[in-house]
Amino acid sequence: MHEQRDFDRFLHAVDVDGAIAETSHQRQLVLSRRGLLAGALAGPGALLLGGSEARAASGLSANDVGILNYALVLEYLQASFYTEAERSGALSGKTAQAAQVVGATERAHVKAFQKLLGAKAVKRPLFDFQGVTEAQQAFLKTAVAFEDLAVAAYKGQAPKLQSNAVLAAAVGIHSVEARHAAWVRELFGVTPAVNAFDKPATKQSINHIVASTHFIVAHPKMKARSRPQYTG
Amino acid sequence: MTLLRLAAALAVVIAISLLWAGLGDSHRQKAEPSAAAYESLPTAPAPALRVGRPERLSSSRFSSRWTTVRRPTLARSRPSASASVVAELSTRAPEGTPNALSVIATRADAQGRVWVEVRLPVLPNGMRGWVPRHSLGAYQTLDTRLVVDRSALRATLYRDGKPIFAAPVGVGTSYWPTPAGRFIVRSELTRYASPFYGPVAFGTSARSAVLTDWPDGGFVGIHGTNEPELIPGRVSHGCVRMRNSDIVRLAELMPVGTPILIR
Repeated sequence: MHEQRDFDRFLHAVDVDGAIAETSHQRQLVLSRRGLLAGALAGPGALLLGGSEARAASGLSANDVGILNYALVLEYLQASFYTEAERSGALSGKTAQAAQVVGATERAHVKAFQKLLGAKAVKRPLFDFQGVTEAQQAFLKTAVAFEDLAVAAYKGQAPKLQSNAVLAAAVGIHSVEARHAAWVRELFGVTPAVNAFDKPATKQSINHIVASTHFIVAHPKMKARSRPQYTG
Repeated sequence: MTLLRLAAALAVVIAISLLWAGLGDSHRQKAEPSAAAYESLPTAPAPALRVGRPERLSSSRFSSRWTTVRRPTLARSRPSASASVVAELSTRAPEGTPNALSVIATRADAQGRVWVEVRLPVLPNGMRGWVPRHSLGAYQTLDTRLVVDRSALRATLYRDGKPIFAAPVGVGTSYWPTPAGRFIVRSELTRYASPFYGPVAFGTSARSAVLTDWPDGGFVGIHGTNEPELIPGRVSHGCVRMRNSDIVRLAELMPVGTPILIR
């Protein structure tokens, strides 16, 4: 329950148009119907989850689903950041190469989380990176912040996981994020490894940092009911 | 004496050998329980998550980007604050929806400010301009593309380069031609009370070069009709008309932001 509250606070901080919460709500509906799901995946529960997706997420506790969705939002953030940078074509040299390699890895993380969570996975938010993907130095500075953030976030949540199998996966991803952090730090010209011990970050501090960037934005409403005035 | 010395030396060698051997035994005796202890450790759990190979970006050959105007801004002829102004851009399209623009390119200037080249919804059609990145919203990427062929009187929607929808269309007469060029779908209107436009009308960035005093500036739409018998044909004031069943199907497949080629 504690993790559920934490995840709700995280959503409140970053979900500007409720798009993430929409899926989260579906997730809660699913969780509230655990009784229906317990016997078999056929029946009312299957209407919500459906087939292999339901099986993919079954067996995870509500606590772990909350933490995994929290990690998925951070993976969405990173994957979208590197994807946009690569598409912009504004990066060059070793930085462009790093963006390609790290981006490919973050996209693999997103896919893996989505597969594991199935219908319980939160939706991808819309990100407005406000030009930091289109200028080399701004990109590197943001990349360092994102990778350090991800490493600290994984470290903060890993001890709270109930499933050892999920913990094993989280540790595997955490070390990859740490390699990314070292790589982009080196490219940005800051020391890759400074401390003998890295402190974990709390969800509150991660929420605050992510929300303060304003990188997660509302989807523009492009549909309307007004009468057309086109030439006809 | 020599024999005695030899015997003593031999005894020392034997003693050292025995001691060495004994140490070895004791090492082995200590190692064996450790190895057994290792074997008795529980096996690590298999990770719940199977992360596949890194995912390279797919080819961007069929993808396009669009954005919206976040704050009123000026479009300039070059990516520079001192370049001439070619258009003013507001945050809203005439329909009241956010003003959507096709993104062509981006460039950072000497000061590190990012500029974005966009297609402008102004006359003459086909105008481009450079806009400061900070005045635009999030980029969105699509793999759909609509082609309107005025000769064949047919519209085809492609996704990732493959046709997924095609329908006959009505286009402008020779007096009020449908303009050719590259545009964007920038709004989707529904649930209005106007049989003339059918059940769905898409707003585009294309403008009639003739009907410039039309309400809202003479923008060209893609919409349904209450005269399906006229389709296909050259029957409109510049808009692209479709049978209502076709426009409803198109609305299920074509997101706002889709680039349009009218040829």
